[in-house]
Amino acid sequence: MTVVPQGSTLERRYRALLRAYPRAYRTAHGDELLDVLLESADPGRTVPVPREAWGLLAGGVRSRVVHLATGSPWKDGLHLGVTALAALHLAALLPYAGTLPLWTAASALALVAVLRGWAWAAIPLTLVVGMKAVAIAGGRQFFDLTLLPVYPSPLGDQALFADSNPYVVAGGYAVMLAGLGVLAARGRPLRARSWWWCAAVVAAAWSGPQWMAEDSTFALSLSRMAVEAAAFGLAAGAGYLARDYRWALAAGIYLVVASGDLAAHSAELTRQHLAYWGVLAVLALWTASAPFRQRRHCLD
Amino acid sequence: MYFVLTALRAGPLHGHAISKSIKELSAGRVRPSVGTLYGILERLNERGVITVDREETVNGRNRRYFRITDEGQALVEAEARRMQEAASLVLRPSST
Repeated sequence: MTVVPQGSTLERRYRALLRAYPRAYRTAHGDELLDVLLESADPGRTVPVPREAWGLLAGGVRSRVVHLATGSPWKDGLHLGVTALAALHLAALLPYAGTLPLWTAASALALVAVLRGWAWAAIPLTLVVGMKAVAIAGGRQFFDLTLLPVYPSPLGDQALFADSNPYVVAGGYAVMLAGLGVLAARGRPLRARSWWWCAAVVAAAWSGPQWMAEDSTFALSLSRMAVEAAAFGLAAGAGYLARDYRWALAAGIYLVVASGDLAAHSAELTRQHLAYWGVLAVLALWTASAPFRQRRHCLD
Repeated sequence: MYFVLTALRAGPLHGHAISKSIKELSAGRVRPSVGTLYGILERLNERGVITVDREETVNGRNRRYFRITDEGQALVEAEARRMQEAASLVLRPSST
């Protein structure tokens, strides 16, 4: 048995790697894992063995996914889908925050309310922001006077909702409100979600780097596609590991809303649009089928 | 999974002892990392194939001893029979 002094460099480094695990698991069993890691270590070693480091990172990710797959799958999946829609709506407004500070702030508050699991608080915020968004997309005024079209800041390069149909904008907000209504009616507390969603909003709001031809209708930015593909990929991986359909439900809700704009421009779509939609659809289908894959052994 | 259950057939063991036993049983071919080993132990525990026999505190750190359950015993024996049957397809003496 190897004796590694407590508080050694190796122990500190293994403790850092153990942060891959959820806090609850670390509190309960972190020291136990550390004990085994230090007992297995060669004398004088200060750097974690790469195989052990990788095992801790992979084990931590799996443990986090399994911890997330608790509680009602449909309610949590619906909450996740509503969160993604709140992020999508804020990302649409964020480049125009200089012109629409009040509405962007209201949209940000709606996202915060959804992230904290306060469905009742999110409903009125989403409703008024949605009405304003539909009014702007339809060239109308609502609540305050807004000079139309709304021109962007450095984050965006075209007018707000320049390529959007007001019915599609209304549909996106209606789906989110319906989801919030169901969650609020259930009355039970919702899980608080990660603040990383705020970083995803900023990345999705950026209109660069350019990927499609400048003159193409409904040009999608590479940053938005990267964020969406990464989120769908994470959902597929989580559904596979946990054999749980909550991520499929969320991906399905988001895909339906994101497909609205593409359907509205169906006559002008390029191969790049179809490739974008195809990637999201394939990942969503994979997320939906992963929980039902055949078991190879009792742990699968 | 198979080696973990086989190691626990000898009696309750803690994580480090299971790891050492797996290395011995597999002649050094199987050496799961601690993250992988505990992932397997947690899932076997959740499925009722193994259970926590007792907990001890060593050097100020908690240490769980795991024990195989009757269900786990049946599972590992069934797996051993399945592998034996599969091996016999190749290793049985030729009839010609």
